[in-house]
Amino acid sequence: MTFAKETKTTAAASYKTAAARRAKRDKYFKIGSLILFFLLWEVLGRINDACQWVDPKFFPVPTGIIASAYTYLTDGTLFTHLGISVYRVVVGYAIGVVIAIVLGSLIASFKTMDNIFSPIINLFSPIPIMAFLPMFILWFGIGEQSKVILIAYTTIIYMLSYVTEGIKDTDPVLIRSAVSLGANPWQLFTRVKFQSAFPNIFLGMKGALGTAFGAMVVAEMMGASTGLGYIIVFSKNWFKMNDMMMAAIAIGLLYSLMFAILTVVESALFKWKKETTGGAVEK
Amino acid sequence: MAVYIEHLFKAYEERDGEMQYVLNDVNLTIETGEFICVLGKSGCGKSTLLNVIAGYLKPDKGSIRLNEDEIHGPSAERGVVFQQHALFPWRTVSQNVQFGLNMRGVPDAKEIAQKYIDMVGLTGYENKYPSGLSGGMAQRVGIARALANDPKMLLMDEPLGALDALTRDSMRRELERIWQITKKTILFITHSAPEAVYLADRVIVLQKGKVSLDQRIDLPRPRDITNPKFNDYVRQFESEITGVAADSVITE
Repeated sequence: MTFAKETKTTAAASYKTAAARRAKRDKYFKIGSLILFFLLWEVLGRINDACQWVDPKFFPVPTGIIASAYTYLTDGTLFTHLGISVYRVVVGYAIGVVIAIVLGSLIASFKTMDNIFSPIINLFSPIPIMAFLPMFILWFGIGEQSKVILIAYTTIIYMLSYVTEGIKDTDPVLIRSAVSLGANPWQLFTRVKFQSAFPNIFLGMKGALGTAFGAMVVAEMMGASTGLGYIIVFSKNWFKMNDMMMAAIAIGLLYSLMFAILTVVESALFKWKKETTGGAVEK
Repeated sequence: MAVYIEHLFKAYEERDGEMQYVLNDVNLTIETGEFICVLGKSGCGKSTLLNVIAGYLKPDKGSIRLNEDEIHGPSAERGVVFQQHALFPWRTVSQNVQFGLNMRGVPDAKEIAQKYIDMVGLTGYENKYPSGLSGGMAQRVGIARALANDPKMLLMDEPLGALDALTRDSMRRELERIWQITKKTILFITHSAPEAVYLADRVIVLQKGKVSLDQRIDLPRPRDITNPKFNDYVRQFESEITGVAADSVITE
């Protein structure tokens, strides 16, 4: 009896769906790929040190980058630069997201707002942000203001269409059912249209994070004396390849971290959207 | 709530500038507590009629009065059940049923919702999202959501049309049972003659935007589909709709 019972539970515990097994295999595969990449990089660098194909000064290796990070860490400047970059991108991005949502909602809800803002936005949106930075510096000074505004501006431009299109794409039958259940125009917007657009808006938020980081780096490379972008230009002047790489990797890690946070928030917000199957055709 | 429809016209402009009448002088009175089925082929104007009564479309001419009041746009007093369940995908079953109550700030929304969830037989599914429901279950939620809001009238636009034959069958029985309990005035759109005969107090046949037949069904409820009179009604409506001898038409 007990024996039979035991085998049954172990069988249940060891049972994994094909999708779960595939996910586990994929994960190990990806981690393995990363490890191999850094290993190869290091080995190639070491060989280059010996054979001098290119000047080793211009061939940073992972261990050298770690050494750079350690130097910045011990003299305490790493967190100063990292901190200020985080501050700029978080504040600028947050302001941008809020303005994009409010402005996008107004444009999607009122034709007059659409007529007022859309032509202006369409005029400015194709201009790369780099072209604006010198102007922003002259207008808003060399301090934090110009950088935060630049980041906010790029976030708004990127996100706006996701907000307006998302709201306009609300299924008409949902609007009909909401008004027949007694929703007033404000409730219709907040409880139906915005909710229905939210996944699309979040998609825009995730995309805008990338452009916000781009704006941050550009702003820090031009007219700044702190930040990860500043480390890159400063190190360039001294041929400190490892420092440049370290800053670039730090930017990448920071972005990945914030993106991961957004992804966690997204999956918590949109539980109702979870797919039940592993794609169009299970493999 | 009684509904008075008088000389109702609704037309769309055709490509060549000619008017295509979808509703062409429709006259209809629906008594309080009556279960009316509007029967007709695709394009006969039955959905348009429902959309006008719901307030989604404005009539070109004519009037629709609820008791004494002319209708102005959609309102919570006319609940609608759609062919595609039209549930809010981000709300759970319970939250969907509570929607109308929440909009009006009704207290105890959760308890009221529970009562209707139990009524449609979905106890235990309160916290599921619509994406996890079958078509028949989703449609039950749609019905519970409309009922929980306590409308004076229920408009149903082929609510069983998207379901498989077996689910349809049990849903018809469910629907009759629910109607017996709630005694709402119901306008039910369908293209199935047996469905209309099974459910309705009165069947309205709509053809080319006109009421071509208005027939009271004199059969005891719940209706026995093996009763010869049941089939007489079905045959009568089918020949009315198709214009050919009913025996040559296969219906589900």
